[in-house]
Amino acid sequence: MTKGRILVAMFGTDQHELGAVAVAGLLRDNGFEVVYLGRFQTPQTIVQSALDEDVDIIGISCHSWEFLDYVPELMALLAEHRVDAPVVLGGSVITTEDAQAMMVHGVTSVFGSASRSETILETISALATQRRARVGVG
Amino acid sequence: MTLRTTRSGIPFKDFYSAEDWQSQGRGEAPGTFPYTRGRRGNALPMGNWIQRELSGEGDAKRSNQQLLELMAHGQNGLDIIVDSPTGSLIDPDHPLAAKAIGTQGVSVCHRQDFLDLLRNIPLDKISVSASFPPLFFVPGLCLAAQAYGFPRNILRGSNVLNPFYSETNSLGVNLPFDARVRLSCDVIEFCAKEMPRFHALVEDTYFFSESGLNVIEEMALGFVEIRHLVREVLGRGVDIDAFAPRIAIVVNCGTDFFEEIAKIRATRRLFARMMRDEYGAKDPRSLSVIVTSHTSGLSLTSQQLANNIVRGTIQAVSLALAGAHAIEISTFDEPYRTPTPESHLVGLRTQQIIDIETGIARVVDPLGGSYFVEWLTDEIERRIWNMVLEIEARGHPRELDESGWFREFFADKMRRYYQDIENGQRPVVGVNIHKVPPETDLLLREISERKMRPVQERIDAVKDFKGHRDFARSKAALRKVMHSAKFGENLLPATIDAFAADATLGEIAGVIRMAYGGPYDVFGAWQSPI
Repeated sequence: MTKGRILVAMFGTDQHELGAVAVAGLLRDNGFEVVYLGRFQTPQTIVQSALDEDVDIIGISCHSWEFLDYVPELMALLAEHRVDAPVVLGGSVITTEDAQAMMVHGVTSVFGSASRSETILETISALATQRRARVGVG
Repeated sequence: MTLRTTRSGIPFKDFYSAEDWQSQGRGEAPGTFPYTRGRRGNALPMGNWIQRELSGEGDAKRSNQQLLELMAHGQNGLDIIVDSPTGSLIDPDHPLAAKAIGTQGVSVCHRQDFLDLLRNIPLDKISVSASFPPLFFVPGLCLAAQAYGFPRNILRGSNVLNPFYSETNSLGVNLPFDARVRLSCDVIEFCAKEMPRFHALVEDTYFFSESGLNVIEEMALGFVEIRHLVREVLGRGVDIDAFAPRIAIVVNCGTDFFEEIAKIRATRRLFARMMRDEYGAKDPRSLSVIVTSHTSGLSLTSQQLANNIVRGTIQAVSLALAGAHAIEISTFDEPYRTPTPESHLVGLRTQQIIDIETGIARVVDPLGGSYFVEWLTDEIERRIWNMVLEIEARGHPRELDESGWFREFFADKMRRYYQDIENGQRPVVGVNIHKVPPETDLLLREISERKMRPVQERIDAVKDFKGHRDFARSKAALRKVMHSAKFGENLLPATIDAFAADATLGEIAGVIRMAYGGPYDVFGAWQSPI
């Protein structure tokens, strides 16, 4: 029984992918199902995949400043398509101020390079459980 | 790792003595086989190495200003990085590019960009190193040289070509393995004939070891790739001594001081033996590989940013002692961005102080003969070679690439790196030891967190450029590129002609992709013009 389905993607031409691969591995090793979209994604491809795969959480790995412009677009598109999966961001370039701004746009959690694995797993686990309870899965 | 092992897990003793030094390095003079101590027997009075900092932001004109300013500050080599759309081989007017144009490097897509980028640069005197996707820098350099009256055969510099590890390590171009290897070999073959002073094969072990590889893994993967490319180029009938003198390696440099020095010395020795014994090289320059370095960005922290200046300094000192031919210091703001003007200057001044004031590089290989360094050099050499053989025994690199073995290797090392920090096995000052509260951690923060907006004017500028060119001529040149790609001709002449005919980087990449049976645009936004 999976603890939850999480989509892992990166925006635009941000190619620093190994962080996303490593986190996807961490999640899989801890009982989550990962829908790995990887690099070169846009809000459109992410929303489409979130709908098709009925994911519980959308996780975006950010290692360029593209997230600053893509996140607002993504949040609007998710609302338009009534996707209720929470969005979490992770990445070394996200400053404290950026994290606050992203939360204002509706992002649920932000992880930085100093975030511990157990914190990431606990947060993701809690969000997945809430979402699955909400839609009546599991 | 414990305190009694190096970063790579090599156990060591309290001290070393004469009996720890195997006989193989004894009596070796610098400038002689197997070149453990470097290619040169003589030290230069000053400016012992090429001092350069990573450059490029916004459009080509703005980046050119940046290069000229750094040269005015005494930088004696150039190191240019492209932005992520250019690195992904898409033009700025492609929909996927819009939010990243010029933010992490220079945006380059057509001939005029190369001319703008290299305007007023003395191409006969300064070496131009570039982190461009394979194939695309040399044509641009040739066209700029032609426009500014420099003959091709005196151009100096290098282009990073790593075909094995680029897709997994931030430099993906969406081309299959065979195509990537072929582009690299085309550049090497072309430069062997036309640009004898240019380092066409630069093995960049820096960028892929930033996934947390130790020095053994870094150099083993580097040698696996060099060896494959050398065999491929030899298979084309090119003489080993026609291209081996211009092979260089850009290594990473982390914070384990002696291990990094021993790594460079061991690499030189391994390379010399391999070139002589396996590939029959005879020219002394084919045997003595040029080693340059880029200090580790991964070792830098977003906490207590000023500490990064100290890390860069220590790393650059180890490189100067190891006799690196060129050094680039990852700047203090690296955890957040490509360098600001402020951090550029600190990086450059650090190198200049080490060079001019400390005098540590006035003698060649000053650590040669140290019992510990010699022992560690032997030990690292042995471990690198064992790992090269182990990886090669796993199968053809194409299979290791396509099966995801390389990718999993890198991801695994990245997980190891962060686990070691999390569980304290790898102490990092400011991260898991000697921390300060974020609200007091303000030194250099404002500079480092300063952002650059994408240069969206480039979109209209490039659309305008495409709208006003002689498109029939560009299309004819693109057909020629596709023909060369399909029929195995060296792609350099056709690519130079295509840029000269105002075809763009994205278009040239697209038709090459088609020649390999792929789509013109992997993102499905554009149709092929031919």
